[in-house]
Amino acid sequence: MDLLRQNVWSPYLAGMIIGLLQIPAFLLVDTALGASSSFVTGTGFIFSLFDSSITEIKYFAKYMSKDKYFWQSALVIGIALGALISYKASGRKASFSSASWKTIGASSAPVVRLLQGFIGGFVLLVGARIAGGCTSGHGISGLAQLSVGSSVAVAAMFAGGIVTANLLYKRAS
Amino acid sequence: MEIFWLVILGLTMGIIFGVALEKSRVMEPGVLIGQFLFKDYTMLKMFLAATATGLVVLSGLTALGLAELHPKSFVVGNIIVGGTILGAGIAIAGACPGTVFAQIGRGYKDAWLTVIGGIMGAAFYGYNKSLIDGVLDMGSLGKITYADLFPSLPFWMLGIITAAALVVVMIALEMYRPWKVDRGMDQNNDASASSNTAHA
Repeated sequence: MDLLRQNVWSPYLAGMIIGLLQIPAFLLVDTALGASSSFVTGTGFIFSLFDSSITEIKYFAKYMSKDKYFWQSALVIGIALGALISYKASGRKASFSSASWKTIGASSAPVVRLLQGFIGGFVLLVGARIAGGCTSGHGISGLAQLSVGSSVAVAAMFAGGIVTANLLYKRAS
Repeated sequence: MEIFWLVILGLTMGIIFGVALEKSRVMEPGVLIGQFLFKDYTMLKMFLAATATGLVVLSGLTALGLAELHPKSFVVGNIIVGGTILGAGIAIAGACPGTVFAQIGRGYKDAWLTVIGGIMGAAFYGYNKSLIDGVLDMGSLGKITYADLFPSLPFWMLGIITAAALVVVMIALEMYRPWKVDRGMDQNNDASASSNTAHA
């Protein structure tokens, strides 16, 4: 498995592999690739431990009952397993946070990384759930179906990302 | 399909997805944010390749009558405002809702907090959905696709034409900036393993 030991693949190869995953998604699950719905499924089951009435909210009930959301929840767990296999195979080490934060001039202090991660995650999912999809669902899958709404969502995503990134980070070389 | 097999299928597909995200480095915060700063084009290249491949795949599957499309509704206010907030979130977190799981697999501890924040974000929207959707309500254009706007062309034809156009964009992008320029340091296994840098 020489390919798995490599440190880096071309983004075109990686993109093609991800695009080909639409075949089993559409043929076997009758849905498109996506990721952010799984957060609603996870939230529903976790919050049901404290709030037994959560299943009476239609939005959560939907994501806690349909088969395709269990498939997607398994998919995101698989993503973590795949990345684990990949980085172990290439012989690199785990770290508290990504070394790539340095290249954009961001702090590596654990407290900063944890706080920024939490805030970022919150904003990420509020946005994705309002829009009804994320970079996978609206981006890769929406554009592959020539969806007009998804193309506007992707444009808005890039606009929000470009403005925020330029406000937060410096263009360290 | 039984739920057990759906979960096995999801895990298998996820492992392939996760390997591709890790090997391409698209799950690194510096790569995602680097795209927004236009100093690293890896994310855009992977995104275009995945979209073009998906277009060809779905053109084939629909032309053969094997699959039906599931485009999302164009809920105008939600799409514009939600998309913008999502983009800001990517820039703050250095992750997307999918790539954050690759960061966890990659061993980045801070990614767990991004997932916890995401769960709180999904809860915030879920509990306040009617209020938020009401404020943002600007109507919906339904599950409209560009194929609907060009009724003389079947989806598969427009899909192949769009995929070809994206290939031209990728070739131009690669001529302007070869992908190995952005991933230069990562090429060398030894240097990368010893310094533990993903991108520096």
